[in-house]
Amino acid sequence: MTRKLQGFWTLLFLFSFCSMFAQERTISGTITDDQGMPLPGVNVRIKGTSSGIQSDFDGNYSIQAQKGDVIVFSFVGLKTAEYTVADVNTIDVIMEADQAQLDEVVVTAFGISREKKSLGYAVSEVSSEDLESRAEGDVGRLLSGKASGVQITQQSGISGSGTNIIIRGLSSFSGSNQPLFIVDGVPFSSDTNAQGDFVQGNSGGSRFFDLDPNNIESVNVLKGLAASTLYGTQGRNGVILITTKNGSGAASRKKHEVTVTSSIFFNEVASIPDYTMSYGGGFDQAFGWFYSNWGPSFEKDGVAGWGSDSAIDENGYLPHPYSTASSGTGIPQAFPEFADTPYPWQPYNSVEEFFRTGVVSNTSINFSGSSNDGKVTYNLSGGHLEDEGFTPENKVVRNNLGIGGKAELANNFIIDGTLNFSQTDFKSPPVSAGDGNTVFGGGGSSVFSNVFFTPRNVDLMGLPYQNPLTGGSVYYRQANDIQHPLWTVYNASSQQLTNRVYGSAGITYNFTDNLNLTYRLGIDLYNEGNSSYQNRGGSTSNTRIRSGFYDTWNNANTIWDHNLTLNGMYDLSEKIGLNFNIGATTRRTIYDRQGVSSSNQQVFDVLRHFNFMLQDEIQYSEERNIAGLYGQVELDYNRFLYLTINGRNDWVSNLAKENRSIFYPGVSASFLPTSAFSGLSSDALGFLKLRAGFGTSANFPSGYPIANRLSLDTQRWLDDSGNLVVSNTTNSVLGNPDLEPETMTEIEFGVESNWFKNRFTLNASYFNRITKNLLVNRSLDASTGYTSVRTNIGEINVEGLEIEAGLDIFKNSDEGAFNWRINANFSTIEPTVKDLGQDTDIIVYAGFSNLGNAAIAGKPLGTIVGSRILRDDNGNFLTNSQGDYVVEAGQFEIGDPNPDYTLNVSSNISFKNFSLNVLFTHVSGGDIYSQTIATLLGRGLTTDTDNRINPFILPGINQDTGEPNTIQINNSQYYFSNILFGPDELQIYDGSVIRLQEVSLGYSLPKSFLEKTPFGSLSLKVSGYNLWYDAYNTPDGINFDPNVAALGVGNGQGFDFLSGPSSKRYGISITASF
Amino acid sequence: MKSIRKIFGLIVLSGLCFYSCETTDMDLTEDPNYLTPEQANVDFYLNAIERSYVSLMQNFGNYGAQVTRIEYLGSRNYLNAYAPTSFDDEWDLAYRQILADVEAMTPIAQENEQFHHIAIAQLLSANVLITLVDFFGDIPYSEALMADEGNFNPNLDNGAAVYSAAAQLIDTAITNFNKEAALEPEYDPFYNGNYENWIKLANTLKMKIYLQTRLVDNSALSSFNQIVASGDFITSTDEDFQFNYGTNENQPDTRNGKYAGNYRPTGAGSYLSNWLMGTMLEDGDPRIRYYFYRQVNAVPGEEIEPNEQTLTCSMENAPQHYIDGGFTFCSLPNGYWGRDHGDDDGTPGDGFLRTTYGIYPAGGMFDDSRFAPVSQGAGAAGAGITPLMLASWVDFMRAEMAMVEGDVAAAQEFVVSGTAKSITKVRSFGALDEDADLSLAPSEEQVNSFLSGIETAFIEADTEEKWNLLAEEFWISCFGNGILNYNFYRRTGYPTTLQPNREPNPGGFIRSFRYPANLVNNNSSISQKQEVTTTVFWDTNPASPSFPESN
Repeated sequence: MTRKLQGFWTLLFLFSFCSMFAQERTISGTITDDQGMPLPGVNVRIKGTSSGIQSDFDGNYSIQAQKGDVIVFSFVGLKTAEYTVADVNTIDVIMEADQAQLDEVVVTAFGISREKKSLGYAVSEVSSEDLESRAEGDVGRLLSGKASGVQITQQSGISGSGTNIIIRGLSSFSGSNQPLFIVDGVPFSSDTNAQGDFVQGNSGGSRFFDLDPNNIESVNVLKGLAASTLYGTQGRNGVILITTKNGSGAASRKKHEVTVTSSIFFNEVASIPDYTMSYGGGFDQAFGWFYSNWGPSFEKDGVAGWGSDSAIDENGYLPHPYSTASSGTGIPQAFPEFADTPYPWQPYNSVEEFFRTGVVSNTSINFSGSSNDGKVTYNLSGGHLEDEGFTPENKVVRNNLGIGGKAELANNFIIDGTLNFSQTDFKSPPVSAGDGNTVFGGGGSSVFSNVFFTPRNVDLMGLPYQNPLTGGSVYYRQANDIQHPLWTVYNASSQQLTNRVYGSAGITYNFTDNLNLTYRLGIDLYNEGNSSYQNRGGSTSNTRIRSGFYDTWNNANTIWDHNLTLNGMYDLSEKIGLNFNIGATTRRTIYDRQGVSSSNQQVFDVLRHFNFMLQDEIQYSEERNIAGLYGQVELDYNRFLYLTINGRNDWVSNLAKENRSIFYPGVSASFLPTSAFSGLSSDALGFLKLRAGFGTSANFPSGYPIANRLSLDTQRWLDDSGNLVVSNTTNSVLGNPDLEPETMTEIEFGVESNWFKNRFTLNASYFNRITKNLLVNRSLDASTGYTSVRTNIGEINVEGLEIEAGLDIFKNSDEGAFNWRINANFSTIEPTVKDLGQDTDIIVYAGFSNLGNAAIAGKPLGTIVGSRILRDDNGNFLTNSQGDYVVEAGQFEIGDPNPDYTLNVSSNISFKNFSLNVLFTHVSGGDIYSQTIATLLGRGLTTDTDNRINPFILPGINQDTGEPNTIQINNSQYYFSNILFGPDELQIYDGSVIRLQEVSLGYSLPKSFLEKTPFGSLSLKVSGYNLWYDAYNTPDGINFDPNVAALGVGNGQGFDFLSGPSSKRYGISITASF
Repeated sequence: MKSIRKIFGLIVLSGLCFYSCETTDMDLTEDPNYLTPEQANVDFYLNAIERSYVSLMQNFGNYGAQVTRIEYLGSRNYLNAYAPTSFDDEWDLAYRQILADVEAMTPIAQENEQFHHIAIAQLLSANVLITLVDFFGDIPYSEALMADEGNFNPNLDNGAAVYSAAAQLIDTAITNFNKEAALEPEYDPFYNGNYENWIKLANTLKMKIYLQTRLVDNSALSSFNQIVASGDFITSTDEDFQFNYGTNENQPDTRNGKYAGNYRPTGAGSYLSNWLMGTMLEDGDPRIRYYFYRQVNAVPGEEIEPNEQTLTCSMENAPQHYIDGGFTFCSLPNGYWGRDHGDDDGTPGDGFLRTTYGIYPAGGMFDDSRFAPVSQGAGAAGAGITPLMLASWVDFMRAEMAMVEGDVAAAQEFVVSGTAKSITKVRSFGALDEDADLSLAPSEEQVNSFLSGIETAFIEADTEEKWNLLAEEFWISCFGNGILNYNFYRRTGYPTTLQPNREPNPGGFIRSFRYPANLVNNNSSISQKQEVTTTVFWDTNPASPSFPESN
């Protein structure tokens, strides 16, 4: 495409020779890169003279020249172009990247394009090639491994589930640590509005799922505060700048083009354990309809053989569980047919068969083009994704439609705008935290909790799940006290239908070539229609859920964003250049939830509120305004020394008057020794840049932290006559009018370099961020009258190192030659709690108060605290009279969920028309509390516990005798009473994992082949996502995938509560352009 | 050109102004999702206080009952039987939901001359304070409820000081009850506006204070007797202080919690105490069919074969200390399927096998030997009670005082009258289960013979046995609560006949509970007790584990 375009311009250029006038006149035109992006700041001069100008923001230039003059266009990182002036007055120039320098323009805060070399901070770029035609439709997950310092954790493998993105570690433990998403220059809500908390159920996607990765032109990640100062408080966690194809204006100077991508992928569960084929349900080798799989073996003979179990007859049959269930369950009455049906003692592949292979299909279409003069460009895109989960009844469907365009008007106005619509329909069976016994949260349902520990002799897929008389759940347990997973699948669901409109409109007025004023209005409006239900008749301890419930509610969120900027660009002298931006912005966020919660279902499976006896309200709203004034000045000296000074002042609406305003300054510098000292640049060292940055930001509280509240309950009780009794009570949260914003400062140093003619690049950043006055949801002793208060205390320090390197093993610029490049990025991030204030030494901020993530002074932030093995004074473990470890309840440090380092390595091989890309990720260290592992071991379900003969003697001191423990315990007691139900300490595992994150093989049809077709290009790609992983420090048979965020999207980390397996995807996609 | 600039400026300005009033409003600090404290209603406060009070007493009653074998305790180690986090709810109920509400309500009620609202609130909070001391020892009081003044770390007050403050609070409450109120409470679930009964309750709670402090207060006995002489205390069952539950399952759930947790489609959720069931079975106690509901007629290891699937311990031998003491182990005859003290076995699918709560006080089924499984809505559908202070208990309190005074005859009279009152009350519940065949209810004759049996046994017993008998009968009548007898046990050490923990060395008996996690984690003035053997101020008995004898 580019080549054709170039040809066109060359042609135009040639025509210009046809008529020549030997007189001075104005030559003007537009300078773009080979992507069609306008290039500002290009030096334009007449060869042989010293006078010259620079191109403006939009790449436009005009210069006085005579026919025959040679105009030289130069720009660092691009090949210098020369054009001889002929008869035409317009010379548009496309400048190609100079492979030798590989420097580029990057988009920084507020969409300001800057030469990368001038930046005093790190920016990671992910290009559209890394995001297009992928098996995963979630842009967050696609960023995994592609930028250093960015940590991405999926909530689970459920299609459409939430994704946690943390850039450069947690810097706060009460506020959100999720980065700011800026799409086409305006803020984009990336909220995750889970249906309930992690205990009650976490269903609900992250709103960046609404973006179609195929419609993304580029992603820039601003990691440090120096980079994001202009965004103020919103930018404190880093910024993910997304330019969509609609918003890029990249179509300019391309002819009209249509691109279609169509993919089909298969989605499978990736973390199925290696279940035992040797033993079935029971305990101590005796049969029982228990949760545990410690029963007899499937062999008749031997010590553990079923032959010696009285419950199993000599032919290996049991009475059918539906015939022996208690009559109180209603099961024997409802299933008379099983009265005489024997049930064979054999293993079933229940869990394996429960999951399915989901099909993911995706079609994206993109139209782009421009008017003949290139002044009006447009882009239109549409996408349709259907992502079927590996879990039955889990599916997400997404439709995208977007339009964008830009027009340069004759009167120095430029207008541009984008408007996008997306509809995301997510549906999943309920998922909530569970342990090896049941589901948490007062008896909600969770599809995974009860699936994973299905005893091997239980025929999950074959046992009827529904009572034909009542519709209620039936299952193998004799008191019917566990819900059949298939009943859950077909009788309970969480759904979230999101309609979203977002976009922006901008208007720019160029006062002169050097000065313009831009106003931009951004709007992002989504409406999440949620529903959550379960038919009556579930097996749960919660009366309300058992009666059948149906909750429907809408979350309406609106962001209005106004931004007015004055941009200037001047050369102060020949050597000193100046850019400045001054602006004002306001952002208003309104969140409103309205709905109805019904219970007590009358007619089974009818999901309308009228069919429920009881109704209750769902209502919540929040609004907050933030206004800011900002400014930035950038100076460059002779194109080798750059200095940027910026600052912003924010005002927020939900704090007391005296604490509403805060100012953040920032400064950064970049120095290019290879440009400053001409002798330094050599074949070995082609480019060297040293940079340093300092940035500040603040975190404002959300909600209404200074308000004092009174809780009203209109349905507290019923009096003797059945009338409702109303109560009001002191709210648990104390309002704090003295609350201040949390403040952050960060320093960053970096080096960027190219070696051996660009064959090797090495970039590194070191950063150190300090967060002070942390906004803490401080728990209070209830005897103070309240149980929590938002307050400011303490200090956190995050220190990190990021290294990115690339090496061309084979490099040959000839077309079709063999090229092999390896890129690697490495990051290590250490968040440490420095201080927690005077009167508290531990704050547990995520999870449960007795098992969660804590901030403890002097310890890594997020330290996992829980119960541990009781120790004697010498630190020896203590055992009890049963031979088990004694549990010591309390908040003991039992793990550190922060990985030691993350290393991502990608390899790109291209040869002829083939390209092979492989991305490996390696997370080293980071503890995880895993109920999946504990449960599978404790219930004796996997091959890990097949060796059941040897007894254990736990090392420790018998607390009764004071002597070393000598009490033998058997296998099941070791795993069940200690590993599963013992101290939390024993459920901590090392979460190190190596993963084949992505692999793809692409083939582009040769141009010659396409010549007689309407296609401009046609390519094919076979790719896979998460095809293989190994958490090498966890038990082999569990196949545990530590990439799970059981606590949901937020600040909790290192927990797994049986909340979901991970997925692997593979398939094929075709991209064609016309 | 100029006009274009003007147009441009206009567009920009109008764009900004379109929402500027809203977007630049920097004063959005009120939370629309709640009321503000200024909008409070005194009646609503009182309703909250009363409901929270019942929940709190119900919870403490359970803890007291579990450690004293009235209910089942599933832990082999007394120190770890209750994690500090298990008391967070009670701590919140007591301080934030009761005491803080009382403090917030009082000035408004005072202004409105709603003296009876205040009196009820004061009386209930006095008993909350006493109970907190009984369970935890020293607690925050003088520095409590001062978060709004910036005190996030209140110090402990000595238990004795809290007790005397509570006693004063009761006196103030009595004064307020005697005042003429401008407005009466809209809802009084306890006495329906009968302030004579409220005053009787106030005096009875004072008696409770004197009884509980009798080991550390020489004047306690005479103070106790002074109130007795006045006659103005709870003596008759129709003055019983109790909370009546309803049958609504949802929104709100007004059923007795013991019912809601056990009359479920998935079967019963709790185990009942083998000691209590065994003792009542052995004594032929006429309340047994009211207290317990059997779902089956035989327990493995008794009438039927041992069964590892349903009752693991039926395959096991009794531990030596059970054999030595002659205690029941694992199973009881006649279908009374419960658990031993300290049994921590896993839970098989026995929800429709185990014995569960009956009609009293849970509002379940009367056990007429129907052996039908439990189900939601069965029996009285949860319309039971939580007994809070009963006339029968007052008799046992007086029996203890009589024993202390050496007046054995009076003690005997109170033991019998207390038991009789309890039996009469319990029997009156039979009719609540409409499906019950009450022909199996004990007859007047059987009751009388049981009572005379007790009388004879008491007369024949030596002093220790008299104490044991008094204690056992007191405990049986306390079923549904457990606070008074937990205190009694620490005060007297009786009965000495309790089934011990399955674990031979469970640690010393819980003389006070560890502090709630919420308190020690968030209050830097207070550190956790490392032992549960710390005694409260009124307990001057020998240290654990030598006391109490049954541990």
